[in-house]
Amino acid sequence: MATVTVQSLTYTYPKQDQPVLNHLSGTFPAGKFSLLTGVSGGGKSTLLKLIAGLLPNAGDTITFDGHPLSSVAPTQRAATVAMLFQEPSTQFTMDTVQNELRFALENQQVPAEQIAQRSDAALSFVGISDLKFRKLMQLSGGEQQKVALAIIVAMNSDVILLDEPFASIDPPTRLALLEKLVALCTDRGKTIVLADHDLSGYQQWVDHLAVLADGQLNLLSATETQQRFAAFTPQRLRLSHVQLPTEQLTTCLHGTQLGLAHGDRQLLTPQDLRFYAHRTTLITGPNGSGKSTLFKALVRLGHYQGHIAYRDTDIKKLRKRHYARQVGLMFQSATAQFLNVTVAEELALSQKYGNSTYFTSTRVQALLRDLNLDGRDDQVLYSLSSGQQKKLQLLCMLMMTPEVLLLDEPLKGLDYASIQTVMTILTTVQRELDLTLILISHQLSGLDGLVDLHLQLADQHLTYQGVSA
Amino acid sequence: MNPSLKLALIVLIALEVSFVQVWTVNVVLIVVSLLLMLINRVPWRRLLLLTIVPLFFASALVWSLMIRGDASTHFLIVIFTRMFVYVYMGGWFTLTTKPLRLTRSLEQNAKLPSKFAYGFLAAFNLMPKIQAEVSTVRAAALMRGEVLHVWSPRLYFKVILAAMNWSDQLAAAMVSHGFVEGAPRTHSLTVPLVARDWWLFGGSLVLVQVGLFVGLP
Repeated sequence: MATVTVQSLTYTYPKQDQPVLNHLSGTFPAGKFSLLTGVSGGGKSTLLKLIAGLLPNAGDTITFDGHPLSSVAPTQRAATVAMLFQEPSTQFTMDTVQNELRFALENQQVPAEQIAQRSDAALSFVGISDLKFRKLMQLSGGEQQKVALAIIVAMNSDVILLDEPFASIDPPTRLALLEKLVALCTDRGKTIVLADHDLSGYQQWVDHLAVLADGQLNLLSATETQQRFAAFTPQRLRLSHVQLPTEQLTTCLHGTQLGLAHGDRQLLTPQDLRFYAHRTTLITGPNGSGKSTLFKALVRLGHYQGHIAYRDTDIKKLRKRHYARQVGLMFQSATAQFLNVTVAEELALSQKYGNSTYFTSTRVQALLRDLNLDGRDDQVLYSLSSGQQKKLQLLCMLMMTPEVLLLDEPLKGLDYASIQTVMTILTTVQRELDLTLILISHQLSGLDGLVDLHLQLADQHLTYQGVSA
Repeated sequence: MNPSLKLALIVLIALEVSFVQVWTVNVVLIVVSLLLMLINRVPWRRLLLLTIVPLFFASALVWSLMIRGDASTHFLIVIFTRMFVYVYMGGWFTLTTKPLRLTRSLEQNAKLPSKFAYGFLAAFNLMPKIQAEVSTVRAAALMRGEVLHVWSPRLYFKVILAAMNWSDQLAAAMVSHGFVEGAPRTHSLTVPLVARDWWLFGGSLVLVQVGLFVGLP
């Protein structure tokens, strides 16, 4: 059991003027499951990393039962606090599950003869004994998160921190992990802090809500927590003019017996699938169900079963260079899209090869102003905030005006005002240039004006939703 | 054989062979490496690849030296066989040594700081990720109208940038699983370093010395 106390913690990232956390104080009670919530970009990850000792932090502002982490013997730090990351694949050093467990326990100076037994016990607690000899990189995101949890169980860490651990996890795995976390809390007295910006699906599991807003932490009591949950309504998708596709629509992308898999897990059972030209199609479905994998298959970046045809020609028979100009993908991670160093260079590249008759310099300048990106020509792309990167990425891909533009979470991490601007721009450009847009979005508000067709991915099958015309 | 000693052995022999010109020793080393690879059941395709690639470069080198230059036949044979010595010995080492075992051996036997040992291993495990990153960068460029070739600096700029990001993530991953720089660790598996390893190491080196001494004109 360990109580985590934060006292007057201020943290500023190097080379930034504004502190992310400003004189933050608060307590995470021992043996309780606390849900840390707040807007994205509000400092949740930073706080968790500071508690875990992954970011340098001068002084004794964070203590575990009154002791700062620096006073704990190095080999016992992982037994005090451990963290499960948002991106499942980035938390391992070794190749197989067994070797990673050995690595972690060796670091804690567990005697060699106890390592095997402790590893096996942890794996069976999480229910993944069958994964013991598997290669980590071949596991699905959900399995990787289970392995990461098993390692924390093996290390017997008192405080377990989780940073949006379910961002790319399917619902059954999420449920399984939550059950294990609650068991760790109630049976073994672990202190658990889980960060998520979305409150849905936590009500029955957590003891407390800890709200992080404007650099301040506010721990709600059990009653206040229940009130907050009761008042919370999950975002609803409201699409008023979505219809089922009709005969009149032209097919631009056509999948025949199209199936998708990740490792040995089937994501999409082979099915026929059509995407329609000059329309905006929204794809929804649970996390980790295969939406991004579908996009990767459509731009020939991933494996798929069956055939995909673009305007009646198999995409594998088209020249890569030609096809890439017809069907473009706006990646979920903005930095994956950028090829240059500064904002101006990146825009110039799109201007050079893109549709420069529509996207004249005047129009681009106006759009930059709308997006609050003007006057940043010489700024290095990687020093922009994630929201600014996202907006610039969208503009660069729109300027390319491919026949079909796939947008993977184009609104991720944007504030309310930016979402409004981006939606206006997307709608206008789509209408004026008659583009085909296919988008994946968890951000559901504000999409109504844009979306014509709605595809839902459920039970490994994609189906068009809506009323027939 | 103990991986650390094995590594020391091939580095020492390779160094020596590059200064002394005795082609008979080179041929013996080639035959021994080839035999060792065959005993360890290295697939035929690998062996073929290990032969064809250096054959191309060695032939090109010898051919160009024959046309322009006044190198003796003896020197040409030495140059030709030397290339195969490097490739075959390297092949024997990499194809018969598991990276994790080498890491453990370097940490336990050679007393290399664990930071280097595990850093090296983690980088090795990143290989598939680097390949995926390269194809993503190339696809991203194609969508913007730019073709990135294997020799495009922009491709490497992006991949290096991604690698820098991974190295931060990796450091965080190691710390979160309890790794502390310089702190003592236990070893779930020990890599033995026995008298037999030393005998093999010393014996091989002595044999090479004798061969070089006898073979010198």
